[in-house]
Formats: sequence, structure tokens, C-alpha cells
Amino acid sequence: MKKKPTKTPAADKTVPAKSASRAVLTRLFGRSAHGIASDRSVLTGYAATGGTEVCVVGTTNGTYVDNAAALRLAAHVIDCIERHPRMPIVMLVDSAGQEPNRVAEMLGLASYFGHLLSCLELARRKGHKLVTVATGKAIGGAFLCYGMFADRIYALDSASLGLMPVQAMSAVTKIPVPVLQKLSRTMPSLEFGAAPFALLGGVEEVWSARDDVQGKLAEAVAKASTDDNRAELGKKRGGRKLALDIRKRVLAQSAR
Amino acid sequence: MSTPLFHEQNARQRIAAIIDAGSFDELLPPPERITSPYLAQLGIPVSFDDGLVIGRAKIDGKKVYLAAQVGQFVGGAVGEIHGAKLTGLFMAATRDRIPCIIIIESGGVRLHEGSTGEIAIAETMRAIFECRARKVPTIAVIGSDIGAYGGMGILSTCCDFRIMTEHGRLGISGPIVIEKWMGKKAYDSANRALVWKTSGGKTKYLLGDADLLVHDAASAVRDGIAKLLAKSRAVTLKAVKVRHKELADRLKRLGGTSAADELWKRLGIRDIEAASLASGPEFVAVAKGGKAGRL
Repeated sequence: MKKKPTKTPAADKTVPAKSASRAVLTRLFGRSAHGIASDRSVLTGYAATGGTEVCVVGTTNGTYVDNAAALRLAAHVIDCIERHPRMPIVMLVDSAGQEPNRVAEMLGLASYFGHLLSCLELARRKGHKLVTVATGKAIGGAFLCYGMFADRIYALDSASLGLMPVQAMSAVTKIPVPVLQKLSRTMPSLEFGAAPFALLGGVEEVWSARDDVQGKLAEAVAKASTDDNRAELGKKRGGRKLALDIRKRVLAQSAR
Repeated sequence: MSTPLFHEQNARQRIAAIIDAGSFDELLPPPERITSPYLAQLGIPVSFDDGLVIGRAKIDGKKVYLAAQVGQFVGGAVGEIHGAKLTGLFMAATRDRIPCIIIIESGGVRLHEGSTGEIAIAETMRAIFECRARKVPTIAVIGSDIGAYGGMGILSTCCDFRIMTEHGRLGISGPIVIEKWMGKKAYDSANRALVWKTSGGKTKYLLGDADLLVHDAASAVRDGIAKLLAKSRAVTLKAVKVRHKELADRLKRLGGTSAADELWKRLGIRDIEAASLASGPEFVAVAKGGKAGRL
């Protein structure tokens, strides 16, 4: 991506955002991306896809999600519910995780995330379709606190999805990196990225640079349905073979 | 012999101690030997219940679904099987309109199974909200040494209610991770008083994130559950707007507070030392006496 020669001010509070993240928005929403504001790496606004107006909430620049960011995302979801009944909501994810900060934790970061999820749940019940596109980093708590709660989840092939990179996983589990790398060839869940995440059923479809992404998004919004199909997908694609059957076994045994 | 404290008990003991005697019917019990193929490939010992005990029981004669995480097994972390058992249990609760209780003891996603546990937690969140949409009560109990962290911390906030003991901790990033990020000066993970004041049951109760703060004993946890079994919290526009204001006010009023004792003071606790030593119920009384502005 071509960078602007001019220096971006340190406290860039208004549109346009950094050119790279702007480019992603334009790729997804065309000219209507102008309706999306970027403030301290939180995206909120309204745009259009396939002639349908949609509400947009998201993160950019690989930011960390803190209490205030979660609150701003929630506020925009509430705004959409109140002012635009049944309007689809597109969630964009480019975040490295939850803010790793003691004060954030002390003030109840988990509760701020729970509140954001409740707002999205309310939107779904009130007929708003929820579609996520992972555009950059979609890691850990930052992905769980809104993006993974969508009806359908998509990812650009350049996105990094997962729990954590193999190096970090090795540091915590004390399992050597080469061992994890070797295992990840047969265990896609250990791999980091959009394609392995799709094998697990966590992503419906991965969009590549060659795809007509605007068309893909319009189609995704049009056909989104609220059933959670991830366990079925994971089994069909072979990346998560057990989950669906275990769940069914619990349901069968408990019905006896 | 004196009764062990709730945090000293293991998952099966906790279940046995909070339910009507002999009423537990375990689903997918250990004899079915459903074990993690991931851990096996990594050469790590497996467990026949994959670290999660689930089943049906009765509390005060009322039917409940129950799950209890086994902290001794990979820190109670959520892998594919563990997570699928949890999702299935909440789905059964929705189907049968029976309250569902989860006794959390987990650091979150099981790293050894990578993203499978993460997706399982997301699926379980969907299942919890299905319960709530049908007014089927969902209750998280947080009272173990390990606490409720990572994805399990977030998941607990999706339930209608959270019952904590003074021993329980609720958060996302744990103290060791934050210490790595911010340095020992900002967060010394070995400072237990600070760790508990950051994420412990008392602070969470003061803030209003824990609905009940009870004594570190199974009987007290049981009484707490019994109080909430007939209640649920609908996710309505009014409810989320009230909550939004609470959380916005909290950030505005307390966002600049970094010292834990200062937070307690601002929330109406006068005698910090006495409150630190108080049991759960004593602390609740002190908090109310000081008219702690629960946010």
C-alpha cells in the first residue's frame, strides 16, 4: 500500500484514517466508505454494500481493545438499533487483543466486553444481520468480544486469525517451536491464519486479493442467517472433527 | 473433620456439595473415555472427562444442568471436547427450559489445541444467549484459585448472574501476562493483595460485576444459586442502555484511578484494612454500610 508522504499527526482523531486502513475500507465499501469514521483506531459509521445501507463497527491498525473502545463500539450498535431498525451490521476486525493493562482489568474489562456482546445479541434478536470481516489481526479476546459473535464470519486471506502465533504458544506451553510447527501441519488449530481458521469452521469463507470483495460482502450480507453453523463446517472441512458429535452426544444423553 | 472451603474442593466435590444429595446424573461420564487427541499428539496426559464435569441434578428440588471445570487438569482450560460439552449443555438447557450453572475454574482457551477452544467458547456464548432469550437462567460461579480468565472470563459476563466468593477472580488477561507487558512496577504478579484487589470477588462485587459475594463454602454458594434459580435478566433495549450508562459512568468516575485501595475508597469503603480481612458476607455488610455506590 502506498503511504502518503505527509506525516500523520500523532493524535489523529478524524477521517481520513491511515491510508492503509482506508484502502481496506474502500475495498469493502467503495465510495461509501467515506461514511466510516476512524477515531483512535475504532471504526464507526454507515456505509453501503450492494445497494443496501449497513452499519459498520470495527477496529483498525491492529489496536488493542480497552474499556473505552468496547463502550464506543457498543454505543454505535445501540445507535443503529434505535435509529435504523433491522439494518445489517458489518463488523471489521483488526485488533491484536484485549488491552493488557491492570487498570483496565480492575475496572472490569470483561464486563465491558460482555456489554458489547449483549448489544450485538439484542441487535440480532431485533432482526439486524451480523456479518464479520476479519481484515487484519483477529486475535484472542479482541476477536471473541464482537467479531466471533456474528451470524457469519469472513476473512481476507491476508488476515491473521487465531489464538496466538506459534512462538508465543511455545513460550507459554514450553513446547519447542519446531514441534508445534510440525504438528500444525496435521493440526490446523495450531496454525495461525485465515485458511486454517476456516478449516475449523471459524470462518465461512476466505476472500483473496483477486476476489471482487465488494460483491462478496454484498452477497454475504444478503444471505446471512442466524443459525450457528461453525461446528458443522468444522466437521465437514475436517479441521474440527469432534465438536459437533460431542455436542450431539450431550443433547442425546440429556434427552433420555 | 471440618468441611473444606469451596476453593479447596475439586470439581466433583463442589458439585456433590451444592446439590441435593445423590441427585447428580453425569453426562458423558469418565467411563466413556472421551479424550483429547491434541494432548495425546503432544505427549501430554489426557483425562477421561477432558477437564469438564457436566450433568443434571437438583438444587432445592429444582432441576438444574451443571458444569464444573477441573482446574487440576491443564488449568481447566477449554479444548475442543471440553468446549463442545459446554456448548451442548447450554443447548440442552435451552431445549428443556432448565437453568444452567457453570462453576468456572479456568485460565481460558487451552493453548495446546489452539483455535478450537476459542471457537468453542464463541459457540457457547451463542448457546448462553439462546438460554437467556427463553428466560432460562444462566449462572456463573467463580470461586476457585485459578479464577475465570481469558475467554472464560468474557463468557462469564454473558450469563444472567455471577456469584463470586472472596477467593474468586474474574478477568481476561492474568497478572503474569500483564506483568510481562507493563513491567513489575506496574503490576507485580507476586503481590497477592494487589492481584485480588484488581480481579477478586470483593472488587467485582463493589463494581456490580458480581451479583452476589458469598462465603468461601459450598453451602453459601448453594444458597446463592437457590436465590437466583427463578430469576433471569432479559436482554432488552432498556437493559442495555441502563448498563451502558453504568459502564460509561464507571469509566468517567474511576478511569483515572490506578491504585486499588483508592478504588475501594472511591466506592465507599472507609476502613481498607478491615475490609481486606473481611469474609465475603462481612464485606457485603461493610459495603452497604458505607453506602458503596455500586456502579
